[in-house]
Amino acid sequence: MEIYLPVAEMSVNWLIVIALGTLVGFLSGMFGVGGGFLMTPLLVFTGIPSTVAVATTLSHVTASSMSGALAQWRKRAIDFTMAGVMLGGGIVGTLFGVWLFALMRRQGQMDLIVSLTYVIMLGSIGVIMLRESLASLRAYRSGVTVSSRPVNRGWIQALPFKMRFRQSRLYISVIPPIAIGFVVGALSAIMGIGGGFIIVPAMIYLLRMPTNVVMGTSLLQIIAITAITTVLQATSNYAVDIVLAGLLVSGGVVGAQLGVRAGAKLRGEQLRLLLAVLVLAVGAGLAWQLVVRPADVYSLSEGAP
Amino acid sequence: MKRVLLILALLFAAFILLPSPVGSGGAAQAEDLVSGISQDIIQITSSYTGTNIVVFGAIERSQSAQGRDIVVVVRGPDEPMTVRRRDRVAGIWVNRDAAQFEGLPAYYYLASTEPVARIAPREALARYGIGLQSLQPTAVGSHHDPEPFRQAAIRYHRRVGLYAESPGSIDFLSESLFRTRVPVPAGVTRGQYNVEVYLFRDGEVVSAQSTPLFVDATGLERRLFNMAHDAPLSYGLACVFMAILLGWISSVLFRRPG
Repeated sequence: MEIYLPVAEMSVNWLIVIALGTLVGFLSGMFGVGGGFLMTPLLVFTGIPSTVAVATTLSHVTASSMSGALAQWRKRAIDFTMAGVMLGGGIVGTLFGVWLFALMRRQGQMDLIVSLTYVIMLGSIGVIMLRESLASLRAYRSGVTVSSRPVNRGWIQALPFKMRFRQSRLYISVIPPIAIGFVVGALSAIMGIGGGFIIVPAMIYLLRMPTNVVMGTSLLQIIAITAITTVLQATSNYAVDIVLAGLLVSGGVVGAQLGVRAGAKLRGEQLRLLLAVLVLAVGAGLAWQLVVRPADVYSLSEGAP
Repeated sequence: MKRVLLILALLFAAFILLPSPVGSGGAAQAEDLVSGISQDIIQITSSYTGTNIVVFGAIERSQSAQGRDIVVVVRGPDEPMTVRRRDRVAGIWVNRDAAQFEGLPAYYYLASTEPVARIAPREALARYGIGLQSLQPTAVGSHHDPEPFRQAAIRYHRRVGLYAESPGSIDFLSESLFRTRVPVPAGVTRGQYNVEVYLFRDGEVVSAQSTPLFVDATGLERRLFNMAHDAPLSYGLACVFMAILLGWISSVLFRRPG
């Protein structure tokens, strides 16, 4: 049941890894997210070096986003212009993230930066989602329909370099999509995520894209970003393990399909509430590891710093 | 295992057939050592989870077992390592001081008839690099006492099973024939290892023998590792292609029944 990972230079139980891929794939299919934020910490927990975990999880996200994107593409619900513009910022962000990743690794602060970024991102996104889903559940019970909070778009409208996005029926500046792409690209390289949980809210609340194109466009964006980051991680950090990726992806794509079916049976607010709880739990677990005294305050890494 | 038994049998036969110089009053002639290993190449395959090698040997012109000790050291290739110490900063544990070492082996296993401290004085052990405490790497560019960092490096390797001392683990099959089993765990590095066998008589090395041992990946594992380092662009693209292909296949497969 053991299989040797050539890049991580260790052996793992392949059944456990496939099960992990399936589980995360199931959750990502159910909630419509890439699942990178769950996969990276889980891999680190099973003993995979965090550099390999971050770089290899990306392939899992590419694969599970692929099937979702295909379904949206059949429905013609992808704004290719918007995805292209965002990708422009995304590529620069990815390059920056991979550079930062290599720098932090030399400084010995990689684990800290990954954990801190995770705690901050998961903590804030989790709290926002929890409040939002509880509010809409309460509203649903009392029979009142709440419209989502109006966001002041004044400053976004005032920005220059406007462009027409036909599919989204928008005429806005290209600066906000490029900026969002940059942030997500950088986080993708540092955290090993696709960034769906940032792109989707940003598209809805900041760019005011119609919800029917949000899912497909964000998935296409995620596929492109994770694919580019995988190649960059492979060329600059030699941290992608293709055997580990193959195992995760095989489990993940099956899990994702099952998850989509399970998710269809639940209401949107309930799904978001569950996802919020999951996000907060992972964030709290990582925060705990940062503050609790380590078993050995010394740690070792091979090679020169 | 068969090979080991065969070699042991041959060694044994040689001893019975040869006239013993000890018996004919040749006590002045020093004892000598002949040793071997069960395999000189360890191949890491996809199902590699660690293995054992057997180190065996015979003492020629064997004298009394009193005051005689055998030490077997298996040493992996030296690797530069960085040890970091975490300190609490604003409530969280952050890597602060670091020490960089050169000359620490990636793997170190010692088997002996007795704890090494009882076999020979510290200086003699240090001269031959026998025992974990005689591993004295050079600290590069550190501004503080490297000793706790060196201890931490040894502690780390012991914890993951790459360093071990195992006194009392040498089996004597007869007065002059011995063998010991050396565990080679899954996390070993590729490269050239050295198997050293020492014969001590009253705290002095009277004979020693060194045999190389190679650890290498074979087949697919080797090709993938080489590709990841030599052709990282095609390797990365292959990963992406695999992910996209599997994602596409699954969506096609699951669309029909759904």
